[in-house]
Amino acid sequence: MAENNALRVITRLRQIGPALVFGVSFLALWEAAVRGFDLKPYFLAAPSKIFEQFFKNYSRIWEASMVSGGNALVGLIVGTVFGVAMSFILSRYRFLGELITPLAIALNAIPIFVLVAVLNNMYSITSEIPRRVMVTLVVYFIVLVNVAKGLTQVRSTHVELMRSYAASEFVILRKVRVPNAVPYLFTALKVAAPASVITAFVSEYFGGLQNGLGSRITSNIANAKNAAAWAYVLGACLLGLAFYTVSIILEGVTRKGDTK
Amino acid sequence: MSALEVAGASKIFNQGTTKQVDALIDVNLTVNPGEFVSLIGPSGCGKSTLLRLIANLLEPTSGSVSVNNKTAAQARLDQDYGMAFQQAGLFDWRTVSKNIELPLELKGWDKAKREARAKEMLELVKLPEFADLYPWQLSGGMQQRIAIARALAAHPPLLLMDEPFGALDEMTREYMQGELLRICGETSTTVVFVTHSIPEAVYLSNRVVVMSPRPGRITEVIDVDLGSKRNEDTRAADGFFKSITAVREALRGTHADHAAANAIRGVEDR
Repeated sequence: MAENNALRVITRLRQIGPALVFGVSFLALWEAAVRGFDLKPYFLAAPSKIFEQFFKNYSRIWEASMVSGGNALVGLIVGTVFGVAMSFILSRYRFLGELITPLAIALNAIPIFVLVAVLNNMYSITSEIPRRVMVTLVVYFIVLVNVAKGLTQVRSTHVELMRSYAASEFVILRKVRVPNAVPYLFTALKVAAPASVITAFVSEYFGGLQNGLGSRITSNIANAKNAAAWAYVLGACLLGLAFYTVSIILEGVTRKGDTK
Repeated sequence: MSALEVAGASKIFNQGTTKQVDALIDVNLTVNPGEFVSLIGPSGCGKSTLLRLIANLLEPTSGSVSVNNKTAAQARLDQDYGMAFQQAGLFDWRTVSKNIELPLELKGWDKAKREARAKEMLELVKLPEFADLYPWQLSGGMQQRIAIARALAAHPPLLLMDEPFGALDEMTREYMQGELLRICGETSTTVVFVTHSIPEAVYLSNRVVVMSPRPGRITEVIDVDLGSKRNEDTRAADGFFKSITAVREALRGTHADHAAANAIRGVEDR
């Protein structure tokens, strides 16, 4: 048993080892470059300074993360709910899909962030709603496209089989289409979760409340506090990673034996 | 009492348009209870279409289909037949046992009864230890055996199969043919079996229905007299080869017009 555990630790180390070594050497190289070439802090901050700032401003970074993360989470949940609901409607009424698909493509083709400026105009300056609406929109389309695919692209053998059992459309939906769409939903969430964080703090660059990670990064750069700005960037990375990790864990919990 | 009866059935797709396809013209076929009948013919001869008419997955353009002395539609509602396809068509998110239980679930059986039947079916296809695995953990031949177990789970009197062994390798295929005969013998199930393979059709069937394309129709029905007990020795028996030759000649006949046309063209070319 103990040997088994030791073996597991070793295999785990082998798996993450290369990534770990790469990460550490990258940081070391960065640090050495800053010191060796005497790079000025306004050009590039040293990792040691960034970590120092990160721990010094820890509570502020945490607060800002909660604001951006909260916006991302609200948008993620609302967008997922609407996306799933709409995909059911689209899979039931195919002609609606033909109407909406071009719109979805058009919305994805424009840099959707510019909508934030418009949304900011619609609400008061202290409102978080524009950012949440923005995240909702981004998540909505990712979820809609994927789940609709999962609901409609079922194997013809499965549909014929269910019809041979005289199953109604509703039963086919429940027993075939919905289970088929579940992995598609989690694929969508894996893309949508980091995207929601990115959208939440990029949205902050377009004005409104100055309390999130995005606005802190700009304000620190404006005040020539480069290392502090980098510390907020680090916070943003961690927030994105947290969202991604949760989406992967959720997928693992709901997945039933299907490893394709 | 016949297990199924097809009377003057035709199926025309896209009728009255330029894309009209006469998939089946005036097909008559009666299958007796316990009989094993194969449908064989080149691609486009309508054998799969005929199977789907029997299954009521398609409606005939004219003529009638009755299964178990009911209309095909009523037979489908009553789940009077089980069906198996070239792809096993198992559901990846269900365990082997839950896959077999699916038709019973749709019939509204309670859990205990379903599980007992699934267990019985797994014994029948000789895979009892695989109940709690997922389909992707099984080989292609095993998956197809589970599909057969699922098709027979509700003990339907009729089994409809559309090239069920088409995707299997030759060794597995011959094993599955033996297993299918054993299973259908034990359950006295009537079978209609679509295939591309002449030896397969002969080995399995009491009668081989030879079909031809454009328009799809039955050209010949060949009785196979190999007795009811068939085993690996059957594949080496004189009667086996005689029947194979008979089916092959009947199939050549379906290409006769084609061959003649080619011969004439060949002469003109010289």
